[in-house]
This record gives sequence, structure tokens and C-alpha cells, in this order.
Amino acid sequence: MTFLRDPRRPLRQPLAWFLLGLGLVQPYQPSPRAMAQGAKPVVHVFLQLDAKSSIVEKTLQQHLPELGIVVFGRFRDFEEGLTNAHPDAVLSIAPVLEQRGKASSLQGQRGGKSTEPYVLASVNQLLEGSLAGKTIGVVDLLGHDGTQTFLGNLLKTKDIKIKRVAKIEDLLPLLEFSAADGIVLPSSMLGRLLERTRLVIKTRELPGGPVGLPAVAVLNPAVRDVVVRSFQGLDVPTKRLLGVDTWSIP
Amino acid sequence: MTGEKNMKRLALVCSVLCLAHCATGGSETGSRAPTRAPAVLVDPPARTGVPTLLIAMPSSPNFVEVRKSLVSEVQKNFNIHTFVVGPETKAADLAAAIQAANPACVVLMNNATINLYYQVQTSNPTTKTPPAVLLMASFVEEAQARLRGATGIAYEVPGVTAFVHLRSVISTPVNRVGVIYRPPFRAFIQRQTALAAKEHVELISVSVPNDVTADGLREVLHKLARKSKVDAVWMLNDNGLVRDAEFVDDTWRSELSDSKMPLIVGVPNLVEPNSPLGTLAVVPDHEALGLQAANLLFDLSENDWRVEAHPVELPLSVKTVVDVKQVRANFGLRADALKHIDRALE
Repeated sequence: MTFLRDPRRPLRQPLAWFLLGLGLVQPYQPSPRAMAQGAKPVVHVFLQLDAKSSIVEKTLQQHLPELGIVVFGRFRDFEEGLTNAHPDAVLSIAPVLEQRGKASSLQGQRGGKSTEPYVLASVNQLLEGSLAGKTIGVVDLLGHDGTQTFLGNLLKTKDIKIKRVAKIEDLLPLLEFSAADGIVLPSSMLGRLLERTRLVIKTRELPGGPVGLPAVAVLNPAVRDVVVRSFQGLDVPTKRLLGVDTWSIP
Repeated sequence: MTGEKNMKRLALVCSVLCLAHCATGGSETGSRAPTRAPAVLVDPPARTGVPTLLIAMPSSPNFVEVRKSLVSEVQKNFNIHTFVVGPETKAADLAAAIQAANPACVVLMNNATINLYYQVQTSNPTTKTPPAVLLMASFVEEAQARLRGATGIAYEVPGVTAFVHLRSVISTPVNRVGVIYRPPFRAFIQRQTALAAKEHVELISVSVPNDVTADGLREVLHKLARKSKVDAVWMLNDNGLVRDAEFVDDTWRSELSDSKMPLIVGVPNLVEPNSPLGTLAVVPDHEALGLQAANLLFDLSENDWRVEAHPVELPLSVKTVVDVKQVRANFGLRADALKHIDRALE
């Protein structure tokens, strides 16, 4: 990303300069380098985490020097990357891997568990009883139909309207704007939500959970050893960034 | 006031917005024939028995980005017909495109395109027109009220979104935020006041005349920054208040540079550590806007395209640019803040 103006110069440009500026912050674009990193096995990462994708990518690249890491912030980019770039391995949560028919080679664990509960968060009062007709926000993990099914299974009802958002931080505006009756998120993300808002948030654990923690699916058996070894060698802060504290081989 | 007068008034208001880069984005399309899409706007192959969406839009980058995201979401469910709108495009061209595509819904991007659609409707008041979804235009709520069968997504980033982001970046409190506005923004500010209150932010708003001078604005800024006990100031994207760089230097910069007051802006270029002014810029996330528009279209299609029943939505997703150097020096940087900023400048 570049800025048009020499930062050493004072502001002396016409309004058009301002207007151009609004377009300068481009959304994260995964680079088409998945197949262009020499001999390094390429790992595609798609997770809901408490950090920007660019930060996660930079951190993983530093700590997984034997691997080529591409982090996707959005489902459509991830899906496109899987189709077009043919990665050697994928790091995501179980429902995402299962949707693509990928078996995990390495399962993340936290506190001795390989799953975590998901919660339904609402403002001022718990969303209890029937959710029929309610509007529920969720991060787009699996596309339109897949996310609808995923959420229906979590909530044990199909009669809901879903609002998919691109990023976990976009769930809060759904509550602030009263655009949704509730939002669904991993329990590990609840702390960050509560830090950000002064809304009175009520939560309940979802009956259809828990959901698998991040797992690695190796798609190219020839690189299995290096992928598994690399992830197992991650330090504690990096594993914490990924939402796990250890890895197990299923 | 007639609908036409209202549309003219709305166009006048829109012309004063900095966000008008989208409202006037059609001017960037040059002499391109209105119906010939550039290579980046090639539509997916059409299928029989699938409803069509007609997307009428300028071809400049931000619009293309929203379209790309939108099309990737909806192309399994809809045929896509893209109609590029330029300065030479007439209402009759748009009408002909609608007639040819026979869409289930039209997606109209920017105020110029919306105005063309308004002309299509008013020139044939008894002719049924498709439901419309309005995107990337200024004051979509007002445009919706003038059209038959329209809804959409507002383009202005709500203040509360910016305030919550500022809170997550700086250590000093953000409980009272000052904002200066001109009369066309009154209704917008009223809505922002209510939204901000949900996050326990009191919006201290001060009205200035449409033709406010640099001296007048400086005086109001001085009072706001020094006497109103606000914790931050929010600069609206209104080029009556942000006319050019010199005006900004003479008003905002001269008043706020010494006050050590966080300034929220709506354009990233005002966040510059080597020439400090804005603390945080909050701008629309266009890719996410495409996803939100897709959600809206799915909702409408499942409700027989009853657009009138669907209020205009607020944009959910933004990108942030922060002058981290300024934050560290004056307000304290929150732990982990850097993990959540799209672009941190030092």
C-alpha cells in the first residue's frame, strides 16, 4: 500500500487529493504466490483470530521458516486460493476442513481439549427459547449455504435469518445497530468483544457445539513431515495467537 | 417540495461531500461507451432459468472492488449484468439496459447512477421498475425516500464505529466526542448521537453555517477543543469543512495541533506522522461491503423483493489507519492495539 503524497511535504494539495485518498486503503489481498515459493511447502490459513490477517501471516512466516504461509481473512479468498493455488496444507477449524473433505493431520488443543464452545451473544437479555425468525450474525466461515447449515446445526434450528460478516470485529456493529438479535462466536473471542463494547452483553453456550479448534490438514503427503514438525515446533506466543496451546496427531 | 426538487437538493448536498468521490465516480469513466464493460467487469456466463441482477456502476476501482466481492457471493444464485455508467450515460441508456436484462433487482452504485434511475422512474411514472439496492452513495436514506422500491446500505461510516475503534487504540478515555456540522448533516448527526449513546459516548455537536469561514470554524473548534471538555474530535467528510489542504492547515491543524486532542478523520491521507493531524482514519471496507450487499440481496430475494420493508442498513465493516507515533506521544497506545489496526503509521 502506498500513499500518493510525499510525507515530508505539508498538506497543499486540492480536494481531489483527498478524494483519491479514500481508495488508498485496500482490503487484504492474498498474493498469488502460493505456487511460487520455491521448494517450501505452502500452507493456507483461514481462521477467526484476535488479530489482523496481515499480523498473523507475518508472525507465522517468521516462526515457520520452512513453510510458505498465506493467511486469508475472508472465506471467498480462501476458497479461491484452495481452488487455484493448490496448497500443500491447510490450517483452519474442523467445519471448514470437513466441508472440503480434508482430514486433519495435526489437531490443535487448548486446555487439554480439541474443541471449544460457541456462544450466542445478545444485548441486555439472553436470547432464550425459540429462535425462529430471529436474525443472527456470524462470521462467514463457509459461504452462504455452508454458513447457514453450520449455524443451523449450532443453534439446532433452521428457521433463522443469518447475517454473515467478513471479520469477527464486524459482529459488534450488528448489535450496536440493532441489525441482528444476536451474534454467534467462539467462546475464545468473547473476551475481545467485551473489551471493545459497553453494551450489556449476555451469552449462552450453544447446544450444537462444541466446534473443533484449529487443525492442520496436509494435502500433499510428500511434505507431511516438514509441515507437522514445523507446527509442532511453534513457540508458546505463536500457538496462543492461533488459539491453541499444543498439537496432537489424531 | 416536489420529488424532483428534493433530488436536486440531495444532489447539491452530495456534491459537497468528500465522499462524493464515489458520488461522482462516474466522471472517471471517460468516454467509454455506457454499455461496454471494461475487462475487469466481465460478467459470468448467463444461465437460463436464473434471475438476473443488473449492476449499474462507474468503473473506478472502489466500485469494481465492491462489485467483485458482490459477484463472487451471488453468482451461483443470479445471472449478473453489469452496466457501466459514465458522464455521458443518459437515463434512456439505463432504461434500455433494464429493459434488455429484465432484472429481478438493480444494484445502483453512486449518486449519479441513482439520479439516472430516478429519472427513469419519473419519466415513466406508471411503468413498473425493478426493486433497487443503493450502494456507495451519499445519504442513501434520503435517496431511498425519493425512489419507488428501493433500499440500500449507507456509505458514511457511523461515528460510533470510529469511537469504538479509537477506544481500542488509545489509553485515554473516549466518553465525549465533539463534532462540527453544517445544516445538511443535521439528520445524520441526530442519528449518530443516538448510536453513540449506545456505546456510552456523548456526541457534542456544534452547528455552523453552510458558508462558514475559516475564522468562524477556527473559533468553533477552539471552543470545542478547549471549553467543551471533549475527549476527541470527529471530523466529518464534508468539504465545506475540509475544503482543501490550506483550509485544513488554517483551521483544524492550527486549532488542534496544540490541544493534544485525538482527531478522527474519514480519509487516510489526513493521518500522517510527519505532518500530524488525524489520529485515526476510519474508512469503508469495500470488499466487506460487497458481502453485506450480497446478504441484503439474499434477504430481499427470500422476501419477494419487498424492498420497502427493508430499512437502509449501516455499513458494518471498516478499515483503520492510525498515527501510532502521535498516539504513543499523547494518548498512550493500548496493549495489543497494533494487532487490530489495518495500517499503523510511525
